[in-house]
Amino acid sequence: MRNLWIDRVLTLSLAAGILLTSAASGRTVLAEEDDRPEKVVLRVCNWEEYIDLGDWDEEETIELPSADIIGENSMIQDFEEWYYDTYGIEVEVEYSTFGSNEDLYNTLTLGDVYDLICPSEYMIMKLMEEKQLVPLSEEFFDTEDENNYYSRGVSPFIKNIFDTKGIDGEMWGKYAAGYMWGVTGFVYNPEEVTQEQASSWKLLSDPDFKRRVTVKDSVRECYFAAVGALKSDLLTSEEFKNAPDYAQRLEEEMNDTSPGMIAQVQEYLKTVKDNVYSFESDAGKADMITGKVVANYQWSGDGVYTMDQADEDDLELAFTVPLESTDIYFDGWVLYKKGIEEDPAKQHAAEAFINFNSRPDNAIRNMYYIGYTSVLSGGDDPLIFEYADYNYGAEEDEEDTEDYDLSYFFAEDGEESGEYVITAPADQVNRQLSAAYPPEDVIGRSCIMTHFDEQQTAQINRMWINIRCMSIDKVPVWGWILTAAALAGMGVMMGKRIRMMRRIKKKH
Amino acid sequence: MHFSRKSLGIPYAVFLIAFVLAPLLVLAFYAFTNGQGQFTMANLHSFFGDPNTLGTLFYSFAIACVTTIVCLLLAYPVAYFLAMSRIANKTVVLMLFVMPMWINFSLRITALKEILTVIEGNLAMYPFLNAVIGMTYDFLPFMILPLYTTISKIDGNLREAAMDLGADNMRTFLQVTLPLSIPGIVSGVSMVFLPAMTNYVVLDMLYNSTYIMGSLIGSYFAAYNWHGGSMISLILLALICIFTLLTGSGEEETARGGAML
Repeated sequence: MRNLWIDRVLTLSLAAGILLTSAASGRTVLAEEDDRPEKVVLRVCNWEEYIDLGDWDEEETIELPSADIIGENSMIQDFEEWYYDTYGIEVEVEYSTFGSNEDLYNTLTLGDVYDLICPSEYMIMKLMEEKQLVPLSEEFFDTEDENNYYSRGVSPFIKNIFDTKGIDGEMWGKYAAGYMWGVTGFVYNPEEVTQEQASSWKLLSDPDFKRRVTVKDSVRECYFAAVGALKSDLLTSEEFKNAPDYAQRLEEEMNDTSPGMIAQVQEYLKTVKDNVYSFESDAGKADMITGKVVANYQWSGDGVYTMDQADEDDLELAFTVPLESTDIYFDGWVLYKKGIEEDPAKQHAAEAFINFNSRPDNAIRNMYYIGYTSVLSGGDDPLIFEYADYNYGAEEDEEDTEDYDLSYFFAEDGEESGEYVITAPADQVNRQLSAAYPPEDVIGRSCIMTHFDEQQTAQINRMWINIRCMSIDKVPVWGWILTAAALAGMGVMMGKRIRMMRRIKKKH
Repeated sequence: MHFSRKSLGIPYAVFLIAFVLAPLLVLAFYAFTNGQGQFTMANLHSFFGDPNTLGTLFYSFAIACVTTIVCLLLAYPVAYFLAMSRIANKTVVLMLFVMPMWINFSLRITALKEILTVIEGNLAMYPFLNAVIGMTYDFLPFMILPLYTTISKIDGNLREAAMDLGADNMRTFLQVTLPLSIPGIVSGVSMVFLPAMTNYVVLDMLYNSTYIMGSLIGSYFAAYNWHGGSMISLILLALICIFTLLTGSGEEETARGGAML
């Protein structure tokens, strides 16, 4: 009996056990490092499956006008070699992964130490606010240095956001170098859902699609969608859209976390819970393809992946971004203070790691492997635009084509705007291309969802629990009867056992 | 140094301290402190004062109860006839029931998802039913094995004696076989009931979006509230302890049956 009890305890405390061991492993890394000071150990923590691991087949080679691109070795191994060749310093990358921003934050709080991490924009803001990051060095921004691939190649559109958005008076760009980006929207099956229907967040609560639409199991994404749906009339009114301070007002409206709004969102999301297929953490992509659902609220990068997979099954899916607003997101590299402070050589290696991943050919390798869109435009290097054209441009004999202007992303100041136009098959305008590189009007109505502070996190989590849990008040009468019966059953069992024990005692 | 047999227990003791006892203390520490590290009972109060956490406890309990009852009703006849039958290779037949356990859990549920979609049409319409079906599918062998071992160990002479004394089949079963198989029922029930309280992956994969205890704990950690999450884990642990104490017998059967898994 004791063993069984222990097993139960073990299962429950497994999580705590994992936490402990990971804390312990962090410490051993430090000890090893002291023994070999001549080698830089760079501890990188990135999303799962978020960097090219190499090992491509020959026929996977991406043949672009300027160069052929193929991933032979993993990006990490290539970086180690490149760093030694370029700077003459040996570096060893200890690469780990995380599954969600919250997981990453929890492991950091527990004392895991990394040098370079890749959280999303709101987590970057949280870490900035808590002074857990080291700013990028001045050398990193020196565009004269030709190894500074990030500063030389980052899209002016992204750079502008990173230089103007911030927290506590400090801009993101001081601490973060972007990696991948995108917007949120609906992947949908055009045979079942019209584009007009998929162009509003209200699709989530539309009774015509009861149990046929699926939504991300994420508090933040659900909150954003709910605010969009609740304020739909305001957000789509001409008066609001034409206001001179539209962008700022949009951001304020979408980041409304007043108690009144939270209460409304709670009610709305309760309706959503009863209307959607499910809150999915990963199944949404497959469910779109197998036809279990007709629309899926998705990150654009995953949208591209879903449509690509569906194409292989001859199922044509489309992507659209609601007219109210969309959540523009970034994942970015930041230097983690606790790690970097141990050794100044780490900062150089970490920044070089960012730069190496920002080299246009490497950015393409990562984009190909991950399916998300890089924040890089390539600067003077045409490779990344060539890759976009290679993926989404029309064949020469294609008749039904449309011009798709990507100047906002690729054109540097003073450059001719006509240079970055993709002639794409007409349907691509609602499909992969629009998910990979959203058109300018979508960008116009996008806004950044800021991070929730401690109090907001507590309130919004409470709201989420209220939505996801069954309240005890809702327990039906038969439920109580069942409970009573079960408890009585247990009581009988216990009574039997006590009687049995007594009998055994008597015998002895 | 003299080597005694007791030394063989050292590795397990170390394992126990490092991975069971220590994490448990950490858990208890977090459960009774607040963000500033001060002792507090607030986490305990907020658990019992909140209709949602209590409701979740109830919902988990309901799923676990129904799953256990269904498992018992399905497993008992199987175990009974298998134990009583005279077929030569009983172990092979028994193996057939256990075999699904050898396939990866998520693969099994994925397959079940497709089968249920064919039968039900739209899975999301029956969240409670799906949760029960999924758990039953998953935990049934845990019920069959202890029942089988217990029933096959019952001395056949007892049944014959009952018959000789004039009891019919029904009466023999109710008054001899059933009472003697109670240890098997108890261990089967505890092996099904406890995991069914917390296994939220089944619910997640079968599109039941209502939280049970496991997912509720997860949501606290996702909101960086380790204290509240730890408290719920601790309460669940306490409930499980009580349950195990109440039904704690028949573990020998479990050990034997468990070897096949």
